[in-house]
Amino acid sequence: MTASTFRQDLRVVASTFEVTLKMIAVDSFVLFGILIQPLIISVLAIWMLTPKDPTQAIFVVIGSGMTGLWSTLLFVGGNSITRERWTGTLESLVAQPTPLAYIIFGKNLASVLQSLLSMVVSYALAALLFHLEVRIVQPVPFAISLLLTVFSFVCFGLIIAPVFLLNPAVQQWQNAMEFPVYILAGFLFPIALLPGWTTPFSFLLAPYWAARALHATSNGSATSGELALCWGMMGIFGVLYLVFSRFLLRVILRKARVDATLGLE
Amino acid sequence: MLRTLSLNVRLFLEGAFLSYVALFRWLRPMTYLASKIMMPLASILFFTLLGTYATSASNASFYVIGNAIQIASVSGIYGVTMSIGGDRWEGTLVYLFGTPANRLAMFVGRAFFHIFDGILGVWIGLGWGVLLLGLDLTHTDLSALLLTILVTTFSTSGLGLLLGCVSLVSLDTMFINNLAYFALLIFSGANVPIASLPAWVAAISWALPLTRGIAASRELIAGGSLAQVAPLIAGEAAIGLVYILLGYALFRWFEFQARRRGTLEAF
Repeated sequence: MTASTFRQDLRVVASTFEVTLKMIAVDSFVLFGILIQPLIISVLAIWMLTPKDPTQAIFVVIGSGMTGLWSTLLFVGGNSITRERWTGTLESLVAQPTPLAYIIFGKNLASVLQSLLSMVVSYALAALLFHLEVRIVQPVPFAISLLLTVFSFVCFGLIIAPVFLLNPAVQQWQNAMEFPVYILAGFLFPIALLPGWTTPFSFLLAPYWAARALHATSNGSATSGELALCWGMMGIFGVLYLVFSRFLLRVILRKARVDATLGLE
Repeated sequence: MLRTLSLNVRLFLEGAFLSYVALFRWLRPMTYLASKIMMPLASILFFTLLGTYATSASNASFYVIGNAIQIASVSGIYGVTMSIGGDRWEGTLVYLFGTPANRLAMFVGRAFFHIFDGILGVWIGLGWGVLLLGLDLTHTDLSALLLTILVTTFSTSGLGLLLGCVSLVSLDTMFINNLAYFALLIFSGANVPIASLPAWVAAISWALPLTRGIAASRELIAGGSLAQVAPLIAGEAAIGLVYILLGYALFRWFEFQARRRGTLEAF
């Protein structure tokens, strides 16, 4: 790969990002997942958690924001390639010279960044409507945690999208995958409430490390060791997802160019 | 007259059966398992764990019962709405409005099998509560609970019929369905006691289905009698009837407007 080829591929990522951003900005289903659903979960969590302990407000804001991130990744990122099949553009996408991974990356980046609005909405609700004190105690580590969250989520999307395309039977479980991650990743309550045998499953999820880092930096309890662990795990998972996604995308390309079965369900 | 009645009953039952089967033709068993059995379990687990974290483990039953009964809205809202909206998306609405068939039988029939599907969903939810979360049904009048669940799924389906009519003229059907489903999580008392909600929120709660059904179910499972919860069940049934009548009125109005303006399926 030459420098000019890389620049061209980056331009494709940027274009995909821009087009996806504009498309999902007016998609009512996506807007529900980004704005309304996290808002409703935020309202419920505020009414349930803050009467006893108002300092839980920031915990609710982060947790309900994370639910928006995961739901958007699952339904928007997860369908990023499948949607192309539904609209009949998948084969054209596969046939063009830019690697498919760059296009999915651009799509996922757009949806994950846009879903950060979930946290903004939850913050506005808690601060303006409920007049709760919401502040991030460790802002710099929080910002770094957020960047790594975006990175790990986007990479996770590079796994989910091809898996859903290659295996429609797995996609049928899409609706059932939403709440289990809310639970296992500890978005709105600690995983210590769960049976011990579920802990390894939590540890295998990048969203768990993201939630752990964001909660710790927002309430000021993050130590350097804790941050190193969470950031390290998000980085490792991100890289693992990238590596595994290369294999999955190769399978997709084989289905398209050799088996000619890509467009078939 | 007898012939007309038997024709309408046949229309009701056959229409109900066909619309239910048509809806599930695109649902494979795995999708039914994922959407109607595993997703409700995950939802119950999430809100129960959140609730016990917020209050205490001894309150688990409050959240289990509330969220198990709330499963009625999956069939009542999504199932019924898609049964009605499906006629528009499949292009059969014009034939539906072109027939001389009894409109009430045709309209209400769309919800019939979803009521039983909803009952099944709620019992599965309560079953998960017994198996995994320590829900105790030993003091419960099960027949009274079954009646309560029947009435609750009936009233939720009434809301679904109203929303289904909206789906005939709206392109944002899933947005409306999702909004209604999640709004019921707040307003139905499934997760927050109605008494602790602001007065204006509580007023909305009592105007919606599920609220009385959940309250009655909690009383019955705590050992209450049918006589104690009869006013709640009657109120729930009345709410359902109101929504059905509202939905039917809207359905007839849409039909009238579509004929007058020639705008059927134009949205």
